[in-house]
Amino acid sequence: MSVRGVTAYSLVHATARALYSTMLTPETWNALIQAQDLDAVLNLLSKTVYGPYLQSERQALTPRRAVYQIRWHLAEVYQKLIRLTPEPGCQLLLQLWRLYEVDNLKATLRGIETGASWDQVRHLLSPMTRYITLTSANMERMVQTGDVTRAIERIRHTPYYDTLAHALERYQAEGNLFPLEIALDLDYRRGLWQSIHLLAGRDHEQALRTVGTVLDVDNLLWAIRFRVYHRLSEQEIINYTLPFGYQVHDEDIRAIARGADIAQVVARIYPDISGIRQFAEQPSTKLAALESALQRHIVEICRAAFMGYPFHIGIPVAYLQLNEYEIRDLTVLIEAKDSRLPTEAFAPMLEIQPLSGWTEQR
Amino acid sequence: MFRSQAMSKVELIVPEHDVVPVTEALAASRVFHLAANEHMGAESTSRQTSEWQERATTFADLERRILAVMEALGVDAGPPPPETPHLIWPAVAETDVEHLEQEAQAPVQELEEEQRRLAQLQREVSQLEPIVGLGIDLSILRGTHYTFVMLGTMPVTNIERLQSSLEHIPFVLITLRSAEHLATVVLFGMQRDADVLNRAARSAYLNPIKPPETYRGTPAEAVAALQAGIERTHRHIEERQATLERLRETRIRHLRHLLWRVRASRALVETIARYGRLRYMYLVAGWVPASQVPMLEQKVKHASAQVTIEVNSPRPMDGEPIPVALENPPFLRAFQGLVTNYGYPRYGELDPTPVLALTFPLVFGLMFGDVGHGLLLALAGLLIASRTVRALRGLASLGAVLVACGITSIFFGFLYGSIFGFEEVLKPLWIQPLKDIMAILLATVGIGVGLLSLGMVQNIVNAALERRWGHLLFDHNGLAGLMFYWSLVGLAARAFMSSLPVSPMLLVALAAVFGLVVAFAELLENLLQGHRPLIEGSLGTYLMQAFFELFETVIGLLSNTLSYVRMGAFAVAHGALSLVVFILAGIISPARGVGYWVVVALGNLFVIGFEGMIVGIQTLRLEYYEFFSKFFSGNGVRYRPLTLIQRGQE
Repeated sequence: MSVRGVTAYSLVHATARALYSTMLTPETWNALIQAQDLDAVLNLLSKTVYGPYLQSERQALTPRRAVYQIRWHLAEVYQKLIRLTPEPGCQLLLQLWRLYEVDNLKATLRGIETGASWDQVRHLLSPMTRYITLTSANMERMVQTGDVTRAIERIRHTPYYDTLAHALERYQAEGNLFPLEIALDLDYRRGLWQSIHLLAGRDHEQALRTVGTVLDVDNLLWAIRFRVYHRLSEQEIINYTLPFGYQVHDEDIRAIARGADIAQVVARIYPDISGIRQFAEQPSTKLAALESALQRHIVEICRAAFMGYPFHIGIPVAYLQLNEYEIRDLTVLIEAKDSRLPTEAFAPMLEIQPLSGWTEQR
Repeated sequence: MFRSQAMSKVELIVPEHDVVPVTEALAASRVFHLAANEHMGAESTSRQTSEWQERATTFADLERRILAVMEALGVDAGPPPPETPHLIWPAVAETDVEHLEQEAQAPVQELEEEQRRLAQLQREVSQLEPIVGLGIDLSILRGTHYTFVMLGTMPVTNIERLQSSLEHIPFVLITLRSAEHLATVVLFGMQRDADVLNRAARSAYLNPIKPPETYRGTPAEAVAALQAGIERTHRHIEERQATLERLRETRIRHLRHLLWRVRASRALVETIARYGRLRYMYLVAGWVPASQVPMLEQKVKHASAQVTIEVNSPRPMDGEPIPVALENPPFLRAFQGLVTNYGYPRYGELDPTPVLALTFPLVFGLMFGDVGHGLLLALAGLLIASRTVRALRGLASLGAVLVACGITSIFFGFLYGSIFGFEEVLKPLWIQPLKDIMAILLATVGIGVGLLSLGMVQNIVNAALERRWGHLLFDHNGLAGLMFYWSLVGLAARAFMSSLPVSPMLLVALAAVFGLVVAFAELLENLLQGHRPLIEGSLGTYLMQAFFELFETVIGLLSNTLSYVRMGAFAVAHGALSLVVFILAGIISPARGVGYWVVVALGNLFVIGFEGMIVGIQTLRLEYYEFFSKFFSGNGVRYRPLTLIQRGQE
């Protein structure tokens, strides 16, 4: 038992464990999945940890607004755990938190591109109030410019400016946001990888296992999508992906870029995950199955972080990832209930809490 | 102290013409928690409500514009004013802001224009500088037939990736200059591979530099012309900056005042937009601590004599969330912080703070029993609480926790006969954990049973306060659960102590009866409350669920109880660690010289720091998981009084 680990992570561990115990139980999930409609889902959620966030007027809670409110919970737990976590682990949590800022920035740019108003954009964003470089006011000002180039000028003071300013030339030449978004994604993930390597010992090992797996899955899915959907060249796929990873290595990405059998590459990296066979048969239509299988693999890794020696950065990181997956599943559920989809249409998309009856079919 | 502050629901009917002063009075009272607008008959989307929403949007826009002027002039917001400013009407503010914008606009735009020009000139120089040594005319680089040449800038981080992506193609990539983020490079290849090279370069964000046709002569000549332009632009920038500085000096106070007034006005109109609305009246509902209602009434009546105020007691059964204002004496605030870190109690629930303030030090002291260590801990707590050490001021609220834990450690130190690890100086008033391991472990299990029972009793009290009778009677943490638990504890105790004057058959019968009640709690609750259907799904599924419910309850109770064994284990470990310190000291100095006492002192400090920390964690863990989970949901809503200016306090 390392004294440093214990002293550093005592309160973080206790808090993350307490938060972990507030995650939705399988019984609640079953009730949510069986709920008649969106109103019933919101009623059930009001009795959970998300209850305090859903106390707005019921008629004002559109599915989008409900999801936005629910995401406040994630924002609060991030802020709480960042506050409690000592350096350098804190830097990793801050970097993970920045993902939502990057996503907000991308959503804002998309809003500008489509001519949306601030009112249309604001509830698509993840709520963030602390530990940020890009405030809601910044994004509002960006939207008000109505122009991507001028919007980027408005965020000169942020760490995203250099990346976006350099990629802007391609946006201006090609007229779509793809180069801006890819540049942001790559830059963010390089930063995340560096944050992992600021850690040492058990912290490094745990961060690599959890965050490294998240990075691996992103990188792998990018390479597959670029080849299958975008039909990019070998050089483009290589340049648009990351040369590092935990279990997914550069040679795997290069093999996919060169045209190797994707299913074989994935099976070599993750021999135990399901969904590969379906994907191998119809790569262009069954990517979602593979994606779900990989996301569930991350969920398993995060749950495993709670076993064994507890005083390390893996506990808060794993909890935050699991909470993100829980909210993603709630988003799917809320949209599905609002559209009155039958259970069999949306249950396979849930990643964190498969309905017992669906487990075998997966 | 055991309950949060009693709240009253205050509903106001405010004449249209008095809505602003009344809202200002509500905010000035600092006790009014605005409730969601769900009034019978209120026209929530009336024209007037929309007008307030439009005003809020206008104020948001005005705030943004003021901030833009302030940013341009290098003025910050400054601290909030001591008194909340009154409403400024949007038209008045608009005129003011327009005037300020006009004043700042021309010099700011001129400055920006010059800065853009400077940046452009500098960019062009930096693009040409890497090739400044080339003694060739720029027009030669503009057209090649057999060789692919691309001069450009790219992120430094992408260079290696670009090189590796082109491994199957002949190419040369030369870095001419490398700055912090960007490098200037030149990519050579064969014209027949131009398509592949172009796609690779583009995907690596290599932005080509194409020297404008206006550049004549060699790169060195072009750079010299650009440098002259840069010098001219610098002079223009300095002139514009001096103009702006003069403007800043004259407008700084006015800008700050206007900003805070607009912010307060925005908060005010946003608040009014949330009110319910009748034709000529506003309906305002909120929560106020019952003790503060007279003060609020007085302030509101002072603002408007025509306001109708109705004060009602809360009815938790209505389902409307009632905010919770915890009310604890100052010495319990630190423990309150530990509670709110977990969550807020629901209104009507017991506030766990006093119980935590009692059990937390008790559990800590039991694991950390030593008179000397406790004394040092208490002194450290006093030092922190006194705020005399600047570096520790942020932890001041924890001082009280340390003092309480120190005192209980002293108390248990006397019970264990331990002072700074010495176990021969004091006569133990109870036992020595290291010598009576079984006794201390059994005692801590007993304390665990007591604490878990206390948790269940609190759950029963909470259920009674909330009138959830089914939950009170049948829940696994309710009366049935408590009886079931005690029956099991009795059976376990009977196995160890045959002299216990309770019949084992009676205990088995009680466990069976209450176990069945817990297993079928849902059915019994539905029966009691008249809900139909009594069970969800088929009978077979329900029976299976009931069985697992009971199984889970038994496992939960067992693991919760055994968790408290760690208290005994840590009491033993505390003694053992002290023993190790004395063994080490004896090895260093068998004759008990200076070395011996140095090791003893350092060892004691280590025990206080290291074990104190671990014991603190374990105490927190026992409170959060084992104890709180029995009765405390943490789903309450925090009481947040209405304010028009955020002053950065919790």
